[in-house]
Amino acid sequence: MDLLFDSIRSAFLLLLSGDPQLFEIIAVSLKVSFSSTLIASVIGIPCAFVLAYSTFPGKRLLLTSLNTLLALPTVVIGLFVYSFISRRGLFGPLELLYTQKAIVIGQVILIIPVIMTLTIAAVSRIDDRFRLTALTLGANRYQMAGVILEEARFGIFAAVIAAFGRVIAEVGISMMLGGNAKGFTRTMTTAMALEYDKGEFVLAVALGLTLMTFAFIINMLFHFFQGRTGQDAV
Amino acid sequence: MLYELESVKKIFASRTVLDLDRLELEQGKIYTLIGPNGAGKTTLLKILAFLDRPSSGRMIFRGQPVKMSEQHLQSLRRQVVLLDQNPILFSGTVRKNVEFGLRIRKMERRKREQRTKEMLALVGMEEFIDFDSRGLSGGEVKRVALARALALSPEVLLCDEPTANVDAENQEIILDTLERINRQKGRSIIFSTHYLSQGQRLAHHTLLLQNGVVSSVDNPHIS
Repeated sequence: MDLLFDSIRSAFLLLLSGDPQLFEIIAVSLKVSFSSTLIASVIGIPCAFVLAYSTFPGKRLLLTSLNTLLALPTVVIGLFVYSFISRRGLFGPLELLYTQKAIVIGQVILIIPVIMTLTIAAVSRIDDRFRLTALTLGANRYQMAGVILEEARFGIFAAVIAAFGRVIAEVGISMMLGGNAKGFTRTMTTAMALEYDKGEFVLAVALGLTLMTFAFIINMLFHFFQGRTGQDAV
Repeated sequence: MLYELESVKKIFASRTVLDLDRLELEQGKIYTLIGPNGAGKTTLLKILAFLDRPSSGRMIFRGQPVKMSEQHLQSLRRQVVLLDQNPILFSGTVRKNVEFGLRIRKMERRKREQRTKEMLALVGMEEFIDFDSRGLSGGEVKRVALARALALSPEVLLCDEPTANVDAENQEIILDTLERINRQKGRSIIFSTHYLSQGQRLAHHTLLLQNGVVSSVDNPHIS
């Protein structure tokens, strides 16, 4: 236990000292995670909406496949993307491997199913009278979609936050596609794994604390916003 | 003629819920639709509101055949509004709700505000304009929903049991509003109800719907 408490104390001191190496790692992590969450949201939310409100043969199979993808291990995605962006891969000439872009690509694939399934669940919970009311008041299908998305906004925010939590905490994709290059593709989780391998717990614990703090702040902001608008918890 | 329906059928899961040989509804009149639960009243109102398509048959609205394409139905929906049995208000203020249809019709802001105030005053809800819609009672929700519908000056107002689950005071306000907009503005109104007395008080014609089949009963109380 002494090791843990010593590490926590030292980690706090490291954070308070404003260690540039630590903040560089945090900055890379946040940049990559925000980028992948933004891209996945832009793709995933409209697709989820279309899927929720359309009927076609094989829809149930598609939804089951999406749910299955929630359990996809990060190393499988890492391998899959690697096969495309490695030197011999289809996109090899683009020289994406071991760049932040590569991590973003992998993470987008990881969280699109998360955003889509949670958005579908949020949209499906919205009373059908909202759709009919919007239509009878003269809304076209896009305006009607706007109404549904507004009513489902807290569920959709929850989906985006869950996705952000997933990417900021993942290690497999960042390690395999980013390569853990110092100052370039080293994220909080890959740095923690490296420090653990070296037996250096202080930086690892400091990063772990930072990671948890970010998760806490984001959830607090979400609940604060939810409380201000008087919505029930999602 | 406002509506002409010929051989209109609606089938849900191989069950015929509506089977109309011929139905004609005149412009500027109030019709009441009575019948037991499951008679097809809501289905008929949804079809008349262009929110649902008949399984078969032909519809003519104000002399024009109704095409069942989404684009055509949307243009027709701009002339007809259906007030649901349990209306739902969008999250936000009462003002935002009443302005919704006006906003999507791109009405200028000043006119929109004026219309919103007028309509809320018509249903006796003007002091609630900046209230959160989720804090309203069932009767107040119905009145705001009625104001939201009337703000659009629809040619036809369809109401599915407009006085169900509301107290006597709210019932009186709703019925009085329907009567006034028909008398003063000539709006056509079709409403379903379980109360024969409401039909006798307001409607020019009463339509009896049983097992999806309509029979017309003239109302002797209104000429």
